[in-house]
Amino acid sequence: MGLIKNIGNAVKNEVRDYLLKIVEAEKEAPKQPEENVQKNAETKVEKSVPKVEEAPIIKDEKVQPEPVEEVEEVREKPRKKEIYPIANDLEFIRFSYKKNQDGVMIPKDLAELIKMLPLEEYACFVKLYCFALEQRKNYGYWGGTLKRRIGLDQLTTAEFEELGNNLMAYGLLLLEKLTENQKTFVLYVPFDEDTMVKLSTAKQPAKQPEKPAPKKAEKPAPKAAKPKPEPEEEETQHAEDIPGKPVEGMENDEMYKSYKTFVSLEIDKAKMRVGRANFDKIYMEAVKYIDKKYGFKVLSDSDKFKEYLTNYYISAFDIPTFENWKKSKG
Amino acid sequence: MLNDIKILMKSLSDIDVRIMLCKSAFEWELLAKKYNALRDEIEAFCASGLPEDVSSALDKTRASLVQKKGELPPLDLSDFFK
Repeated sequence: MGLIKNIGNAVKNEVRDYLLKIVEAEKEAPKQPEENVQKNAETKVEKSVPKVEEAPIIKDEKVQPEPVEEVEEVREKPRKKEIYPIANDLEFIRFSYKKNQDGVMIPKDLAELIKMLPLEEYACFVKLYCFALEQRKNYGYWGGTLKRRIGLDQLTTAEFEELGNNLMAYGLLLLEKLTENQKTFVLYVPFDEDTMVKLSTAKQPAKQPEKPAPKKAEKPAPKAAKPKPEPEEEETQHAEDIPGKPVEGMENDEMYKSYKTFVSLEIDKAKMRVGRANFDKIYMEAVKYIDKKYGFKVLSDSDKFKEYLTNYYISAFDIPTFENWKKSKG
Repeated sequence: MLNDIKILMKSLSDIDVRIMLCKSAFEWELLAKKYNALRDEIEAFCASGLPEDVSSALDKTRASLVQKKGELPPLDLSDFFK
């Protein structure tokens, strides 16, 4: 008991001392600024013309920063005006990495190209590149989720869109409009056969009229030399890449049953690979996507939802479609 | 008419509350069915066109339903593959 009393008394004394210190500090504090103001006023009166009063000086000081802000705004504007591509005729190949990469290795050619980008676009490109390595493919949806996943949360949607458009104008990113609200992107990464699997070639959009194009017009021959897939073929390839596309033509035969088993196993594997938390996020995205694309009635219809969800997983986890799987089986 | 729409809106806000308390896919499906039925009822009631506030309330409930479905544990697809 005695010990407890002693501890109690000691605590009381400490608290009292502390409070006294605070009270003293508060008493001293207001004195200091007054003294400073007086000193400043005296020195100003001594140095400057006697007409000058304190109030106008303060006003002048407040007015000064405004023209500086205007200058900053003027500086920022011209950056957005004209963007010339830093690389022409790059081939945008949709690919997936064969396996997870250990580090982030930027090929020398690509590094040479992106070092010409302005800071923000450079940062965005590198973030997208890291994201591509992480998700093992260089394409996906462009939007708020991507913005969040690459750590550009602080940007507004408009700013992020602008970054995307700028990167596209520089010729290092391809944005494709699926619907009014949905876009996909393909990031330019030099194709490497050893580490990547080619999925399809993305179509280049019609070139903007403002860009100077005399050099481009002279180069149709090398383009034609490349084995270009026929337009129809390309379209089907493109359609296959759209996540959530309903798989058609799945007959109810033995082959299809074994395909279902294969898909089930692949989804389980993917679940293990990405981890529970990420899988939950993917599921959340799938739900939002299905609601947006097919409507709420599909979402609330259990069977249809399962079908669309499976198709979403097939796309998201790069599981071969029924046709491709059949072909690979021979 | 005003009373009727108030009753319908009350049912909608009841669904909103129950969405917050919903913890299973089964409950969610019941709520989704209720929402669909209510939406049809409201649309039939306001055949000349949905008032803006009613329309936004319906959209809000739909958004919360979608959000809740995404937050619930992912749907088990094992039955689907059998």
